[in-house]
Amino acid sequence: MAYSDKLIEHYENPLNIGSFEKDDDGVGTGLVGAPACGDVMKLQIKVNPEGIIEDAKFKTFGCGSAIASSSLVTEWVKGKSLDEAGEIKNTDIAEELALPPVKIHCSVLAEDAIKAAISDYKEKSAAIAKGEAAE
Amino acid sequence: MSNNDNHKGEGQGHVHAHPDSPCWSCRGSVDQRAPFCHACGIIQPARRGDEFQRLGMKADFDLDPKDLEKRYFAFQRTFHPDRFATKSSREKQLSLQHATDLNEAYDRLKAPLSRAEALLETKGAGVDDHARTESDPELLMEAMESREALADAETADEVAKLEALTRADIELSEEALSLAFSADDLEGATGIVTRLKYLLKLLQEIRRKRLVLNN
Repeated sequence: MAYSDKLIEHYENPLNIGSFEKDDDGVGTGLVGAPACGDVMKLQIKVNPEGIIEDAKFKTFGCGSAIASSSLVTEWVKGKSLDEAGEIKNTDIAEELALPPVKIHCSVLAEDAIKAAISDYKEKSAAIAKGEAAE
Repeated sequence: MSNNDNHKGEGQGHVHAHPDSPCWSCRGSVDQRAPFCHACGIIQPARRGDEFQRLGMKADFDLDPKDLEKRYFAFQRTFHPDRFATKSSREKQLSLQHATDLNEAYDRLKAPLSRAEALLETKGAGVDDHARTESDPELLMEAMESREALADAETADEVAKLEALTRADIELSEEALSLAFSADDLEGATGIVTRLKYLLKLLQEIRRKRLVLNN
């Protein structure tokens, strides 16, 4: 099977590997998995007070396509608002990396991971706002 | 459990449990699941019941591996290509169909994980994992931490310890599956199946790392 240059580049030199402190107020964490292949993907975003994603990191245990999909998504979300980042579709990822059909689920996983990170951040900031209002 | 579920697991024991259809060769009446015509004895198309039916076993998670093997070999002899060497091409083709179905069923029932998946499907609670994203935080956190521990392990000794832990965990999960199925707790069984998938993947990665460290 021939993989695209972009996919190989992201797999061999993945960008944004690592973690943020999960409990930081500005950090949203998405943790998702693909049971069929035993993949697990953690994607984190760091959001500034203006609601812009300043930085993103990931840690993925999975195949090359899952790693490349996470690497690409963390690059794409930087500088985006939460709403913009939430609009990223797995088909965009699959197209950019020219994923073969059997690997489409890796891009779905990356989309689900970013969505989970965004909703984690939103829940967290809502809880903080509620706490401040109560004071 | 409905009557329908009840006879599903009893394999080929009940001759009249299924409607008859005409034999493709002599047009005589033959039980839908019978592999050979009652009248002329000619081989019938493989009718792909579930894996348990194909091996004539009760649909149960707990099975005797020796019994499974015995049934498999007996059916395999029945459908062996040598027995059809002098038969028509249609009969040869049908025997091959039976043999393929049989191999698939045996492979699936042999390993506890795939047996559990087959049983869930039989009970109408199968899950298509290829289109599913898991989001149970506890399970995923555990998977992430164990994979990190493996990545951090530097010596063969550390890897061996992780392997022993993982194997024990797999064994416990298989016991838990047996309990869940005997209590007919299909939701519980589904959760254990997912966890077992992550454990087996972990074991696979442990073996890979062990090979690297040994070389």
